[in-house]
Amino acid sequence: MKVRLLVAVSVLASVLASACATGRATVAAPLGQSTARPGSTQAVAEQKAGGPVNASAAILQDFSARIAAYVAVHKKAAGDGAAIKESADATRIKDAQTGLTARIQTARATAKAGDIVTPEIRTAFRRLMYPELKGEDGRDARAVIKDDAPASVPLKVNAKYPDGAPLPTVPANLLINLPQLPKELEYRIINTHLILLDVDASLIVDYIPNAIQ
Amino acid sequence: MRRLLFIALLLVGLPQTAPAQDVRLPLKDGSVRFAVIGDTGTGDSHQLAVASQLTAWRAKVPFDTVLMLGDNLYGSDKPKNYDKQFALPYKALLAGGVKFYAALGNHDNANQRLYTPFNMNGEKYYTFKQGGVRFFALDSNYVDDRQMDWLSKELAASGSDWKIAFFHHPLYSYGATHGSADLQREKLEPVFVKHGVNVVLAGHEHLYERIKPQKGIAYFTIGNSAKLRPGDLKPTALTARGWDSGYGFVLIEIAGDELFFQVISDKGQTVDAGSVRRVGTTPPTPASTTQPVQAGPAAPKQPQ
Repeated sequence: MKVRLLVAVSVLASVLASACATGRATVAAPLGQSTARPGSTQAVAEQKAGGPVNASAAILQDFSARIAAYVAVHKKAAGDGAAIKESADATRIKDAQTGLTARIQTARATAKAGDIVTPEIRTAFRRLMYPELKGEDGRDARAVIKDDAPASVPLKVNAKYPDGAPLPTVPANLLINLPQLPKELEYRIINTHLILLDVDASLIVDYIPNAIQ
Repeated sequence: MRRLLFIALLLVGLPQTAPAQDVRLPLKDGSVRFAVIGDTGTGDSHQLAVASQLTAWRAKVPFDTVLMLGDNLYGSDKPKNYDKQFALPYKALLAGGVKFYAALGNHDNANQRLYTPFNMNGEKYYTFKQGGVRFFALDSNYVDDRQMDWLSKELAASGSDWKIAFFHHPLYSYGATHGSADLQREKLEPVFVKHGVNVVLAGHEHLYERIKPQKGIAYFTIGNSAKLRPGDLKPTALTARGWDSGYGFVLIEIAGDELFFQVISDKGQTVDAGSVRRVGTTPPTPASTTQPVQAGPAAPKQPQ
């Protein structure tokens, strides 16, 4: 897990350093973190002062914090009603899921696209996935995405994933490059869009439009 | 509608008879026996016909376990779907005490893991043991590091058991619709080889295919237990046996270091049969990490 985090930070750092150097991406200061370009005088000074190491780590931390906040909402919603638990009665499972979905939708009634996957995180994710969409593996990944694609899924925060629509397989080479999510959430790719899906509630939590280019 | 329901119940309630002479499994004392079905969740006449044959064959080849390779419920996951596409077709088997163990397909809602008749322990991937056989049900829709870490740990702890992995996407397949799941193979196969997985069972392609052992692992695709794509198989040199003109299931018996298999059609005919032998029974070590299988003699091809 630590290795994975280090790799993710490292990749993000290189991606964002490159983006900042070319001026193609502007890294905001999420949650009061540094705006310093990695390796810059300001970043070094901040590091010496015990401050934020670099913007990429801050973005990763920011993403983790937003995910953690969502999971807290999920857990509270789960605790407020009938628990989703094992049963031989499919009706009981479905009812529990429906209740959970409704409670999360209510708790996040004002949620909008970008609340979790901010513009900075979107940029970082697109760049993380881009290398895996090139070459032979990239062709395979695109084929997998196309192969399992459902006919229609609403690209909308807090929308329920359509009942009965196939869940497109996430290419393994893309997954390995993205930050690992807690068990409550999964990445899914719908055509060219990456969505964050609440597994138990079948809810679209946030998304990155045109994540696959 | 009532007439259809009556016919369905008739099919389930009156299993056809399996001719004793057709049984190609040795039925040895103390062996582990189970059936394998894939892409089953249609609730239509084809699923019912295969279920009927499963029931009939159980009278001749006693088994108490059925592995489901995903796409357990097509179309929706409403309570009525669990009934129509699972509980009703396999009513006789369930009543007879048969336990089903499901893997998730790309058409399956993850909450199926909570449905206790699927025996998933509330998890999208899990393991269980019967006799000297350790089974690993994987979620091939989402092969992330968490699952890979779990798999490595569980495989390492499985000692000298037979190791059988089952999941939805075939790592080797020559079906024209999907083909091999290359990206999953890149991640899973090295772990399977390292830890001595012997057999891999998958569905997704709506046909039957047996692949010549690859890196010491026997691969079967069984995705025709309710759906079929006639003419979809494009066999290659890796294909040991393929069948894309009918519906069916597989019976497996493991005795000692040998695994016997028999593929049965929805008409009760044997389509493929044979054995694979596990070479070596010692637990994997860093110096010798595989327990490869060898293909045994296959049964003569049967009329289809």
